[in-house]
Amino acid sequence: MPPLTELTLLHLVPEIVLMLTATAIYVVGAFGAAQQGWSWMAQCGIALAAYALYFQASIFDDGLTGPLVIDHLAFFIRSLALGVAALLVLLTARAARDRQGPETTGSVLLVMAGVMLSASAADLVLLFLSLELISIPTYVLLYISRRDASGQESAVKYFFLSILSSAVLLYGLSFLYGVGGSTYLGEIRAALVTASETAAVPGAISLAHVALVLIVGGLAFKIAAVPFHFYAADVYQGTTHANAGLLAVAPKIAGVVVLVRIVVAAMPGNEEFAWKLLLVMSMVTMTLGNVVALWQNNIRRMLAYSSIAHAGYLLIGLAVGLASTDQPIGYDGLAATMLYLSVYALATIGAFSALSCLGKYGPADGQLDALSGLTRSQPIIALAMAVFMFSLAGLPPLAGFWGKLTLLGGALDVYLTPGDADLRRWFLALAIVGAINAAIAAGYYLRVIAVMYFRPAKSEPPLLSSYGAYAAMLVCALGVIAIGIYPGPLVGHSAQATESVRENLELKSTKDVERSP
Amino acid sequence: MKLTPENLLLLAVALPAVAAVVVWMLGSANRSVSRRIALAVTLVELLLAGALVCQFPGIADKSASGDAAYAVSSIEWLGGASPLNVSLSFGLDGLSLWLFALSALLMVTSVLVSWEAIKDRPAAFYSLLLLLEAGVLGVFAARDIILFYVCFEFTLIPLFFLIGGWGSEQRQYAAMKFFLFTLAGSVLTFLSLLAIVLWDRQHAGSGVMNFSIPELTKNLIENPLPDSLQLMIFLGLFAGFAIKVPLFPLHTWLPLAHVQAPTAGSVMLAGVLLKIGTYGFLRFSIPMLPEATAVCAPYLLWLAVAGIVYGALVALAQTDMKRLIAYSSVSHLGFCMLGIFALNPAGVQGGALQMVNHGLSTGGLFAIVGMIYERYHTREIKHLGGLCRQVPLLTLMMVLFTFSSIGLPGMNGFAGEFPLLLGMFQRAWADAPVAWAGHYRIISVVALSGVVLGAWYMLWLVKRVFFGPLKEPAHDETEPPVRDLTLREGCALAPLLVFVFWIGLQPKFFLDPMAPALDRATQAATQRVNEDVPFHSTTAHNAATIDSNQ
Repeated sequence: MPPLTELTLLHLVPEIVLMLTATAIYVVGAFGAAQQGWSWMAQCGIALAAYALYFQASIFDDGLTGPLVIDHLAFFIRSLALGVAALLVLLTARAARDRQGPETTGSVLLVMAGVMLSASAADLVLLFLSLELISIPTYVLLYISRRDASGQESAVKYFFLSILSSAVLLYGLSFLYGVGGSTYLGEIRAALVTASETAAVPGAISLAHVALVLIVGGLAFKIAAVPFHFYAADVYQGTTHANAGLLAVAPKIAGVVVLVRIVVAAMPGNEEFAWKLLLVMSMVTMTLGNVVALWQNNIRRMLAYSSIAHAGYLLIGLAVGLASTDQPIGYDGLAATMLYLSVYALATIGAFSALSCLGKYGPADGQLDALSGLTRSQPIIALAMAVFMFSLAGLPPLAGFWGKLTLLGGALDVYLTPGDADLRRWFLALAIVGAINAAIAAGYYLRVIAVMYFRPAKSEPPLLSSYGAYAAMLVCALGVIAIGIYPGPLVGHSAQATESVRENLELKSTKDVERSP
Repeated sequence: MKLTPENLLLLAVALPAVAAVVVWMLGSANRSVSRRIALAVTLVELLLAGALVCQFPGIADKSASGDAAYAVSSIEWLGGASPLNVSLSFGLDGLSLWLFALSALLMVTSVLVSWEAIKDRPAAFYSLLLLLEAGVLGVFAARDIILFYVCFEFTLIPLFFLIGGWGSEQRQYAAMKFFLFTLAGSVLTFLSLLAIVLWDRQHAGSGVMNFSIPELTKNLIENPLPDSLQLMIFLGLFAGFAIKVPLFPLHTWLPLAHVQAPTAGSVMLAGVLLKIGTYGFLRFSIPMLPEATAVCAPYLLWLAVAGIVYGALVALAQTDMKRLIAYSSVSHLGFCMLGIFALNPAGVQGGALQMVNHGLSTGGLFAIVGMIYERYHTREIKHLGGLCRQVPLLTLMMVLFTFSSIGLPGMNGFAGEFPLLLGMFQRAWADAPVAWAGHYRIISVVALSGVVLGAWYMLWLVKRVFFGPLKEPAHDETEPPVRDLTLREGCALAPLLVFVFWIGLQPKFFLDPMAPALDRATQAATQRVNEDVPFHSTTAHNAATIDSNQ
């Protein structure tokens, strides 16, 4: 591991700012009588963190410092996490005002600090800690936001399954430590390169397979991929719209970036095993998620299965990235995953914001019928919701389309590249299954739109209740449309983000962080 | 900005999209504002389309060939920095020229037929109609493969809302079925289009992704795809385009969607949206995948002829006027496919012209059925009869459009149907591939029966509804008495009628700008099919046959 210096701490300034803000909110909240203002305080903290992040990017080079890796991927995910944090604070603004204000806002900030930390962690211990930093405040959020039986059920389910997944992940990480002889990802990578080239350590690669399976299992919980998806529908249904939005996005971002760091970047020599595993998981996850979602009548359950299905899509990109290590491909599968992750986050938070900003007579428990004829009473909310549904379904000209384009393009590209026939056939199947799933998914997304637009309006239409959530919804809707019409910058940034994730972990003295003149 | 064809084309595509937002923003309960803006915009669009047609090389200057792309412009979209160099690239050529103009023309009709009928949320309705116009014009003008797909898919969204929001009783089901059916096919089309681009990147040598349709076509002709891949890509494209056409067993969404849609939706759906399918075959499948086209042509012809006969027989049994015309579309589009996949110049030209003809005549018929529905609130044939006494002018219109639809000589239907059947017979008797000669002969003879059936169900419809003893549903006293064709309705139908006769009397004017582009598009596939023919006649011979027949 490169030495831990004061620079390492400097790199963590954005996370530290978020945590300090959260702590301040917790502490002051215990004494203060103010019922609001926590959201504003949190937004200031996020703005400060964003400033620090961009300032860093302009003065530091990429490289390794202490247990951190500073590269474009980290920057991309940390920026995304800050954006998501701002939206989630807006989304929870009302909950924060009604009850448990400081705790809710503070916990959201801590979760997002965890996501940011996971993006730059290059050490197994730090990685695990960052994932726990995401989980623990989530338990608090789930527990305090709803005090009824279903809320408690959802909190308990999430708690136990999350603990279990952490244990599985930790078990996997211990195998990885055994194989690599270090907790530092760069050293593990070097050890595995040697092991796969020289066979100096007999059995190292097969042990690595065990580590891989366990790690993927633990992280599959975070991203809600089959077969670790069971909690999603119950937990989303039992909690609030805002919490469901957080659960659908924050752990998924962290899960994907950790998969990239460990499975894609730090475990060379296991690619063939890894892509097969992820590819099969991807096909099963998206098909199961989409097909089961067709039968849901509760919109939060439906969106839970939709988030499972999207986990399957995200895995397409990872499988492509693993399968095409040596080929210079036009648009990297990993980049497609990053692009998809951003557009998914935007549309999903948007959808939950739209639901959440409807107060009285609204779908508080997720009943789809509450949205009947919404276009007549709340045309803007209905339109925004339609935009999110179409984007999640991947229809042009909305953001989701470009995500599908790059993911499916990546899978097809592996098929069309001359090489191992077996590999090519698998990826052709993946592309076709992915495309057909896009059509299946449209079935339930359209149902939401049909309810809002084609059913007669209810006698008591839902009322607009939360301006914070309304603002979050508008921001997301404009974002989805803007990215859809002009996707260039995001496509470019996501391509840049994953340019050399593997090499970034390699220890070179020259690559160590230096302050630029 | 100078009014060069490029700028006119960009303006034509962008204007409806911008106007849609404006109409929606103004979204007051005041119906006349929305519909006036919509009419003004569609008229401007028609003028723009007219200006573009007049300046088209094959028309403005007879000596120039219509082969060259025209009004080409390209704007960077995803940006050069990203590896996905998708561009906003528009242009017209002989293939798309008439379909582009047809869309602009039918749009005016659509606005006019909705004038009184749409009372609920007019701003939303007209704004969706304008979005649909932007989408369909974009489909026909796109020169970038991804842009084409974006517009292709985008047309679903406004139509989904138009059917679901303003349709008849079963509108929600019809809208969902229409959307999901079409989407299910088009996702596979999407994979195929992507595969073409990715394969080209790996084999064209440049190593960058090329999304330009003309360049991809050129590359794929010079450096064809391997046979198995061609077949797979062809089937993928087929999935989307055949559902859109719709080809025989995939047509089930169509009658439902047509019947449930508001009149403007039916006019656009039948007139323009179905043509996107046949256009897709002509633009992508046939020129880019000649080998697969030649292999699949006999099967497609069987499906086409099955659709012709099945559509016609089912149309005969209908009791609802709109449903009858919807099934007639299945039959007529079968003719278009038959001509196109005969893969000789006569057939392809006839098929391409028939695409435009069907848009004019069926668009007109749907508009007329809508007008009758506005007057009598029924579309049931058995509730109506002898209407010629009540609405003589409307009856005249109906008779004229019926004649156009059944292909009376001197009108447009004949100008398209005759060469396409000629082409099919030529393929079946003179140039049949050895292995399929028998099939081709059966197909062409059976297809001919479709013409007879077509005349039967249409004339029978006219006889039952417009002639014989007067039969009207009970008239509601609160409503004004039934009026004959109004000026507004006349304005909606008259322009279509002008083209019905113009195409019928001077088909050469319309065929000439198309012919070079069609020849180029089908050249490789035609050659490939002719390889299987024992003493095949030359292309020159075929061309001469058409000329003498005109």
